[in-house]
Amino acid sequence: MRQRGGLLFVMPALVVLALLIVFPVCYMGWLAATDSQGHMALRDNVAAVTGARATRIAVWNTIVYVGASIVLQLVTGTAVGILLNQAFRGRAVVRSLVLLPWVVPGIVAATTWAWMLHTEFGIVNQLLLQVGAVSKPVGWLVDPDMAMPSLIAVNVWKQSPFVAIMVLAGLQAVPKELYEAARVDGASFLGEVRHVMLPGIRDVLVGVGLLLTIWGLNGITLVYAMTRGGPANRTLILPIQIFRLAFDAFQLNQAAALSAMFFACTLVLVWFYVRLSGRREDRA
Amino acid sequence: MRPRGLTAVFSTLAAAGLILGSACGARSTDIVWWTPSWGQARATELARQFEAANPGLRVKIEVTVADGLPTRIQTALRSGAPPDLIEAQHGWVVPYAQAGLLAPLDDVVTPGDRPDYLPAALDYDAWNGHLWGAPFRIETHAVLYNRRLFRDAGLDPDRPPQTWPEVLDAALRLTRKTDAGRQQYGLAITGGGEVGNTLFRVLPLMWMNGGSILSDDLARVTVNERPAVEAVTFYTELFTKHHVSPPSTLQDDGLADRRLFIGGTVAMYQSGQFDIAVIRQENPTLDLGVMKLPHPPGKDTAAALGGWSFIVPKDAPHAGEAKRLARFVSEPAHMGFFTDTFPARTSAMSQPRFSDPILTPFREMLPHGRRVPPARNWLSIVQVFFDHLQRVLLSELAPQAAMDQAAREMQPLLDRP
Repeated sequence: MRQRGGLLFVMPALVVLALLIVFPVCYMGWLAATDSQGHMALRDNVAAVTGARATRIAVWNTIVYVGASIVLQLVTGTAVGILLNQAFRGRAVVRSLVLLPWVVPGIVAATTWAWMLHTEFGIVNQLLLQVGAVSKPVGWLVDPDMAMPSLIAVNVWKQSPFVAIMVLAGLQAVPKELYEAARVDGASFLGEVRHVMLPGIRDVLVGVGLLLTIWGLNGITLVYAMTRGGPANRTLILPIQIFRLAFDAFQLNQAAALSAMFFACTLVLVWFYVRLSGRREDRA
Repeated sequence: MRPRGLTAVFSTLAAAGLILGSACGARSTDIVWWTPSWGQARATELARQFEAANPGLRVKIEVTVADGLPTRIQTALRSGAPPDLIEAQHGWVVPYAQAGLLAPLDDVVTPGDRPDYLPAALDYDAWNGHLWGAPFRIETHAVLYNRRLFRDAGLDPDRPPQTWPEVLDAALRLTRKTDAGRQQYGLAITGGGEVGNTLFRVLPLMWMNGGSILSDDLARVTVNERPAVEAVTFYTELFTKHHVSPPSTLQDDGLADRRLFIGGTVAMYQSGQFDIAVIRQENPTLDLGVMKLPHPPGKDTAAALGGWSFIVPKDAPHAGEAKRLARFVSEPAHMGFFTDTFPARTSAMSQPRFSDPILTPFREMLPHGRRVPPARNWLSIVQVFFDHLQRVLLSELAPQAAMDQAAREMQPLLDRP
């Protein structure tokens, strides 16, 4: 009886969950397996998307964009987190300011950066030209060698504060005795970082890294608003390719097929994350 | 336990009722009309007149914005609960119809009315023997130019260039450092933004030169044939070889070109008459001129016909009433009042607002307007073309090599059902 009552209480949430998550996922699977007339066409849909040159480019770009972003986000975020853990005047203010890029809505940040990095109108080029650092405008978002690094840099700027805050929280949990023991042994600050801090936040870093990977794979706002995947597909990532197929080309079935494959890859990462979270809870 | 369980059930039902209630908030006789923001005031006025002429019917206007509009319309059409009347660009109508999302509008634009319409506008909305949109707005591009910058460069603004060599020569003379030390560019082209921006600028060049992206029977890709490649070469060399288009070309769409023009950074750019009001508002001192699109020597000019149509979704709750409203707005006097650019009906063109002399080149371009090909998978084909055109703009491939590669990718898309 008690169990049935509990089930009834969670029913509304389960219904909403089913409507918002389970139904779309099942519908995506159905679309991926059929054509626009409802006939089975899974093989055709998969062949069409995997055979497209743009998809192959998008896969490679996604690996580069997500991989480079995560490495740099972890390095930058960890460094900032360690610095914020030190005692200095105005630390509370600095901690708040560091969070700013993360709390700015993605579309606002992307549009602002797109204008700042615009070849003709952008303030970045104006400043560089004024101080004589460059002799002609830099094509931050149009030069094929600059576009992807520029997007990665903006992505790192946007997400590093999240890493910093998580690292900071992790460092607070490291017992003070370990620092004292290290100092007694004559460890320098770098020695403390290497032998006390980083081992102490290893689980945090792995968890954050997986989360960043999942978010990075699903993120479309920054790239779409800044370059739309251009120039010449140099910044085309998989979410944009799916969007193009679905809403620019009206190929919903092919878009669903690519989404399903992409979803399967993301699920592997989610599985790792859930497993890791479970291990951490067990240890706690 | 039972009362608690019942509470949970009632809560669920109440929430469901709330959702259903809000979904059914509009009155049963409300016609929901999606209109873009720029026409809101005129749509409101026509809706008021329609309501006065049709007691018992009410028009509920919902305002849309240009950015992301195709996605929003497509989502609404597939949702099963779309609005009753939507304004969509001509080029979107047939793909929606082919996907089975629209109701035919043969009874909105009746056979008796059709001779009054510009044929190319009706062609745009026709497929499979039916009319799937009611065109009300038409436009083509022309070249807008800064007459003062022409004079400064020693060019006669009253005799603008007419051919490709002439416009290139003018652009080269207009590309220079100004007395204030600022870099000025002769002719801005687009190479970024939405694919349509660049398509509307390159495809007419191909048509003028006797080529196209696809053959007339839509069975074969012709983008790598000589006339088309010459057009691509002319367009891209404005940036890659002659440097008369600014360095930001690969991220510039029509809006960015307009900003550069208003700021005096570029002297010429291609656009529609809808830009005139904005230019006059943002830079009232700019001495504006308009010329027809230059063409290859000895050949005729051409332009892609653009504009907007009314569509009625297949699942529209009040399709009959929506068609009545579309018919009402399509009456010549109402259409002439409603459209931003030219009306699709010739009888509506006689209104005084269309006789401004600066509009003359745009009006003269209309007979040269053509619809973009209604091919299967056209939007995917255009995306491939755009990607390869960008590779030419990046000097990564020569025009012929890029178009050969594009053709190899386009043909399977054309052949696919």
